[in-house]
Amino acid sequence: MALLPENFSFSRKVLPVIAVIGLIIAAIFIWNGLPDRELSDPDQEPPRASGQLADSARVAGAGLVEPSSELVDIGTALPGIITDLRVQAGDFVEKGQVLFTVDDRAIRSSLNESNAAIAEARASINEAQTARRTAQQQLALYRQVEDAAAVSRSEVIRAEGEASAANSRLQLARSRLNAAEARAGSARTELGRLTVRAPMAGEILAVNIRPGEFVSTQGGGNSAPFIRMGETRPLYIRIDIDEADINRVSMGAPATVSPRGAAGEQVQASFVRAEPLVVPKTSLTNSAAERVDVRVLQVLYQLPETDGLFRVGQQVDAFIPAKGDKTAEDGPAEKTAESGDKGAEQGDGE
Amino acid sequence: MLWIAIRMLTGDKQKFYGLLFGIAFSTLLITQQLTIFVNLVERGASGVYNVTEADVWVMDEVSRTTEVNFAMPSTALDKVRGVTGVDWAVPHLRAVASVRTKDGDLEGVEIIGVDDATLIGLPPSMIEGSKSVLFQPDSVIIDDVGTTRMFEGGISPVGERLELNDQRAVIRGVADTIPSFTSQVALYTKYSQALRYVPGSRNRLSFVLVGTSDGVSSEELAARISEKTGLKALPREKLAQNGIDFIMENTGIPLNFGITVILGFIVGVAIVGLTFSLFIRDNIKQFGALKAIGVTNRKIAGMVAAQAFMVGMIGYGLGVLGTVAFIYSFSGDPTFKGFYIPWQVPLISLVAMVLIIVLTGWIALRGVMKTEPAAVFR
Repeated sequence: MALLPENFSFSRKVLPVIAVIGLIIAAIFIWNGLPDRELSDPDQEPPRASGQLADSARVAGAGLVEPSSELVDIGTALPGIITDLRVQAGDFVEKGQVLFTVDDRAIRSSLNESNAAIAEARASINEAQTARRTAQQQLALYRQVEDAAAVSRSEVIRAEGEASAANSRLQLARSRLNAAEARAGSARTELGRLTVRAPMAGEILAVNIRPGEFVSTQGGGNSAPFIRMGETRPLYIRIDIDEADINRVSMGAPATVSPRGAAGEQVQASFVRAEPLVVPKTSLTNSAAERVDVRVLQVLYQLPETDGLFRVGQQVDAFIPAKGDKTAEDGPAEKTAESGDKGAEQGDGE
Repeated sequence: MLWIAIRMLTGDKQKFYGLLFGIAFSTLLITQQLTIFVNLVERGASGVYNVTEADVWVMDEVSRTTEVNFAMPSTALDKVRGVTGVDWAVPHLRAVASVRTKDGDLEGVEIIGVDDATLIGLPPSMIEGSKSVLFQPDSVIIDDVGTTRMFEGGISPVGERLELNDQRAVIRGVADTIPSFTSQVALYTKYSQALRYVPGSRNRLSFVLVGTSDGVSSEELAARISEKTGLKALPREKLAQNGIDFIMENTGIPLNFGITVILGFIVGVAIVGLTFSLFIRDNIKQFGALKAIGVTNRKIAGMVAAQAFMVGMIGYGLGVLGTVAFIYSFSGDPTFKGFYIPWQVPLISLVAMVLIIVLTGWIALRGVMKTEPAAVFR
């Protein structure tokens, strides 16, 4: 204890100092340990209404991008093996352009058969004509003979019979020719049906077939459509509006639209039409067992020309202006609760 | 004169340390128990505090907390987005599911589905991996406390495969979160993915998280959303409070900790009171002598107050230091993850200490006041 001053006291001098230092340490620890519960801004831009819409009444909806012609699933008129595929996804095609052809060997051989039948019928027409000519000449010869005793009566009858038989043969051969030509015609039609052509101008969006695959008229059960196409110039979007919000939507006003994941890139889409039918909402959860009782009104908007910002099938978020603030504040619940008279008055007011 | 009082106090080492122990112990008991109590019940709000972006939470009218919720139809999101003052709104799914681990064990987990595009709803920081791993197929992010429960022995869970509702899930990250009250394993995934992981019912959307526009307070906006959509909208703090209240109402925790805090107080009063009284009684002769040389009652009261202050300050300081040491040394334990000492707690225990000392000091002082100078001769 020689190191310490003479009247050193642990309890009188050191303990209070330890206590004070301890309190300071504790205060610092407590201050630093307080949890951070500040709000932070999202890392990525969420979809938000911009411009005027931000401060005014609006209706929000989610939807899908689709071609302005809607999606066209190309089918085939006749089943068979694909022999030639002329398009690939992303191609722009004109109306009537060949998309793919189905194996036509069977039809071609039946066309050949019909052609052979035509030739055969033509030959038999020739033969019948020759026979008729011969028979007529024979008959004429007999008829020229004045002397009745020179030609037997039975000879004449035979010649007359031969002449009319030759006539009938000619008629038969002619109708055979017609039949064969009709067969050839239908074979040519079938041949045409084996070539699938674009029903309209548009973009090929998906090709799910390859040469050598079998296509059937049933569409292959659950399998994907053979070729999907649609007019993508311009693109439309189909926005689902909750049935409770239908009356608030200002029909005809342009919508502010942004694709999922790029909420910063907003465009103005012009109104096209509202579907006349309110349908159950299709949930985009890909679940087979989806049961949803929400109904939605689908409203179509036309997207402006953007360079690959929107693609067919993409999900979008949209904000649509609502009718005047007054209607918005009334709220759907109140409106339905009101009696018929009041509703009519309101209608007049508007 | 006060120095004499201090010397008097520290003269009897046993009694002095007895007093210190009493004060320090009861401070420690009260502070530490209150701290654990506050942190435990705040676990009920951890679901809210783990999401740092949302000002307002929108839910079904019957939903009570982040865990006790009832799903809404999916168009609720669009309804909320249509309300003026809503800057942005994103879907949020919270549901309980069972997970099969690689060993075949079954574990109850909480599936938290965050917005697909913006990932709003994820905890702010990650321990392993980055938030963007959720963009990979079948990805989930596990919470750090859940990791210790599902993967014992400190193995990194990243890359582990799980089976959820017959679907494959791969852990690709570990998030830094405050665990829930039940410390249930939390798996964060994208909303669309969460729909596949949670066994289906008709409606799936548990919450809509809302950011307020500038110039609108969250209370105002919550009221507006409730009015316009008919859904229940709560500001962040309100929902957090609901979570805390839920635990207070449905568990015995407040009662249990309340009893311990009261016991701490009683122990403090008993030990300190008895020791202080004994100490004063032992020194009654000295006080008598002081009185005999003409020291007034006022001065003596000042001396006793100085003694009480000395004991109280040292004891309280050591007690608080003990609590800090306790919280600090257990901060690595997953059970105590995120525990902190609210600044109000040491103040509460300070008030309790002052009460104890004033009470016992006053009782002891009464004896001294009545002392006659003649006591020195007895």
